[in-house]
Amino acid sequence: MSQLFNYAVPGIPFGCVFALMGVGLVLTYKAAGVFNLAFGAQAFVSGLAFVFLVQDGWPRWAAGSIAILGLGPLVGLVLDRLLFRRIRTASPLVKLVPSLGLLIALPQVALIIAGSTPQIPPPALFLDAQTVYFHLGSVPLSGLELSITVATVLVVAALVVLFRLTPVGLEMRAVVESPRLTELFGINAGRVSAFAWVLSSCIAALAGVLLAPLYSQLNPEDYTVLLVWGIAAAVIGRFASLPLALVGGLGLGVAQQILAGYLPAGIIATGLRPSLPFVVLLVFLPFSRQRQLDDPLADCDPPIAALDGEARGYRAAATLTGDRGDETVMVGLWHRTLHPDGGASIGRRLLQRPTAVLGWVVGGLAVLSALTWVSPDWLLTMTQGIAFGIIFLSLTLLTGMSGQISLCQASFAGLGGFAAGQFANHLDLSLLAGMVLGGAMAAVLGVVVALPTLRLAGLPLALATLAFALLADNILFPNGWVGNGATGVLVPRPEIGPISFNASRSFFLLALVVLALVAGLVKLIGDGTMGRFLAAMRGSEVAAVSVGIDVHRLRVVVFAVSAGLAGVGGALYGSLQGSLAPNDFNYQISLVLLVVVAIVGLGSISGAVVAGVVYTALLKSLSTLPARYAGLLAVLFGLATLSYTRHPEGVVDYLGNRLVGLVGRLTGRWRDDLPPRTDAPAHPPTGVERVPMAADGVDR
Amino acid sequence: MTGALLRARDISRRFGGITALAELSLDVGEGEAVGVVGPNGAGKTTLFNCLLGLTPPDTGTVEFDGRRIDRMPVWRRSRLGIGRTYQRMELFRGMTVADHLLVAEQAHAGTVRLWGDLLHHARPSREELDHVESALRLLGLDELADRPVDVLSLGHARLVELGRAMMGRPRLLMLDEPSSGLDAAETARLASIITDVRRSEGTAVVLVEHDLTLVGEVVDRLCVLDFGRMLAVGSVGEVMADERVRQAYLGSEA
Repeated sequence: MSQLFNYAVPGIPFGCVFALMGVGLVLTYKAAGVFNLAFGAQAFVSGLAFVFLVQDGWPRWAAGSIAILGLGPLVGLVLDRLLFRRIRTASPLVKLVPSLGLLIALPQVALIIAGSTPQIPPPALFLDAQTVYFHLGSVPLSGLELSITVATVLVVAALVVLFRLTPVGLEMRAVVESPRLTELFGINAGRVSAFAWVLSSCIAALAGVLLAPLYSQLNPEDYTVLLVWGIAAAVIGRFASLPLALVGGLGLGVAQQILAGYLPAGIIATGLRPSLPFVVLLVFLPFSRQRQLDDPLADCDPPIAALDGEARGYRAAATLTGDRGDETVMVGLWHRTLHPDGGASIGRRLLQRPTAVLGWVVGGLAVLSALTWVSPDWLLTMTQGIAFGIIFLSLTLLTGMSGQISLCQASFAGLGGFAAGQFANHLDLSLLAGMVLGGAMAAVLGVVVALPTLRLAGLPLALATLAFALLADNILFPNGWVGNGATGVLVPRPEIGPISFNASRSFFLLALVVLALVAGLVKLIGDGTMGRFLAAMRGSEVAAVSVGIDVHRLRVVVFAVSAGLAGVGGALYGSLQGSLAPNDFNYQISLVLLVVVAIVGLGSISGAVVAGVVYTALLKSLSTLPARYAGLLAVLFGLATLSYTRHPEGVVDYLGNRLVGLVGRLTGRWRDDLPPRTDAPAHPPTGVERVPMAADGVDR
Repeated sequence: MTGALLRARDISRRFGGITALAELSLDVGEGEAVGVVGPNGAGKTTLFNCLLGLTPPDTGTVEFDGRRIDRMPVWRRSRLGIGRTYQRMELFRGMTVADHLLVAEQAHAGTVRLWGDLLHHARPSREELDHVESALRLLGLDELADRPVDVLSLGHARLVELGRAMMGRPRLLMLDEPSSGLDAAETARLASIITDVRRSEGTAVVLVEHDLTLVGEVVDRLCVLDFGRMLAVGSVGEVMADERVRQAYLGSEA
């Protein structure tokens, strides 16, 4: 018993930080309608600012005030204005991608602005981090632990006072309970939301500052891990309850220490602790969704966002049928259904052919160049681009066509690569056979991911797959028989009989063939019956199942196929590089992959291919710049993220449509072909029963 | 009643402290049209969800065509010949009107055709396209066939819902407030389509509806639900004359 106590007490400070993150996440989710994954980045930025200010000789209370009460809310408000306010009503994917992009980009931008990393170890907010002040039982309590716990208790007390005793707190509780009713009572829910946003940004900043002294050096990745714990706490709070999130965070902190204390050393023990959020997500997520499904009253009060959503649907429909024929709206992501005018305008369809021809010409020139004059390292980059193009295509299938958000695509790719290498090395197979086996292994993993998450969709599914990626990183890949830890696995170049693909040009051709096969496969699926079923599933799972589609089976199949394709891409990439280490495909890569392909274009095969080439080409060209500008990619990334909110169809489809529109305008012939306006859009901004475009009951 | 197409017995469903359905029983004969009315919150949509399996009932059994279906997954019940529309429409966002009908037609016919797709044999068959075309004509949506549903008017969108439910020639259509949000002309059109389908295909219909004119035009028999209980059953005239029904449905002053 006393041993349990000894393990539990050191977990409390961790739990405090997790709890703060969880509370902040729930607060913005309920009051502002966005599940803000950039929270981890906000925490990092404030933590970094705090350490720098202290290093420059500021007293800690002043540095803390500026970082927590000044910079924190400032960053939050800027993000809100620039970004989150615009996407409150968008689809789960459109909400998720920008916050993921910022999660990656924001810390890098902060590091560029700072210009260097801090030279001093991060100090505690108050007290001395390393000094042991007293013992609780036999557990020594350091200044670090005390400062975290005391600060959290104070903040929670302040929150209780705020919520219980002040008018704005009452209003905020009302908004969290029921934004719509609150509006009806004449309270400006928008103002209250803004206040909640500021408050939660302060909480993120506080968590960032408190956590800093745990590490000798501030590192964005540690804050992403913190974010995942915060997500788990928020999920325990069912995305809705602040007290439950608080308790959940505390419980997680204590539980992970107890687990670490009792489990025998080894991969499972070191791996299980970071995977605890996954277990929590898996156990609690279906529950939170189940509640929405079963609660008949859950739909009676859609959040304010949903009301906007109806207005937005109205606007979108107006745009569609209005005179701006070159604009695509978010009617879907897969190109077959993207033409805003449907089949009504043959002219526009004809115009799309030259655009496609242009694409083929550019692609053909690139291939020719690669085979003739391109330098070896750029040839390598192009081949890498093809490998990533294949992985992106797996997302086109899974997310673009089927609407299933996956944040563990890199894990599939990694497993495919490792398996291909291991099979080739140990069974002495050609890598081509290894690649097929690797793809098959990844497909099995896809089924393993799909089965427990069958009931999840939208945001919950994304979070579950993220947690799964962490699990793979921590438990699966470090094993010698999978990813072999930091050493990685050798992945040879393939051979077919006497033909070897050791030379870079021949390997490039091989990669091209594999890409063509995968692209063909995705296209056949997309254009066939299954593609139509997938589109139906993306549109409405409930309706799909009630016209007789076995949605569960369909999901398992599409996860398996997509994971298999990603595995083939990973194997190709590994073979190109010669070896593959777990860090080549860790969970961060999964996030980057989804964001990149979403920005470039999830709606078409060309989008995925272009995404692969552009991604590797950018990495390559930025790596030749001086170190000072190494973070430029992050800035680009952030900007692209902002553009994504305006054009969720992706850069490729957007430019294609612009080109078609431009030619159409120049010739002036197809202006009149736009379809006549149907009398009124299907989503009038009135009526309680209408399901708004965005509120699909999934990610509330 | 012998030979009932759908036979639901003692269906109960609670949500937390709310009893949505209390031991409700409902029979629908072959080709019969049954109306279900009741105040908002009476449990009508929950009844549909329980019959189709979207919400598992706490107790009770459901038989369709003499077979127990209450343990079947939703998609299998649908393939047995049950079509359904949603009060809060559940259209496939981004898909065209014709694709809605085609999906439903193909889904009724069979399972995922991954291998067929890969060998490129999975183009819609002539027969499937013919079915879609005739459904479009019946609904008067042929002009809008290639339009994405997102830009349709509410009236057209409701027709797409109805059309999707009708594909694959179901033997039972469950319509959940199909006229909600429609004007008088659109409702009349809806009534004539439902009547046409019943006449030509002999389809049985369960109609949840507030519009009593539509109910009167379509149904043979009317049930009144209140607080998850069956308040009255009978012909439209009988039921509407019932004092308890007037109390529950129209308010006490009526």
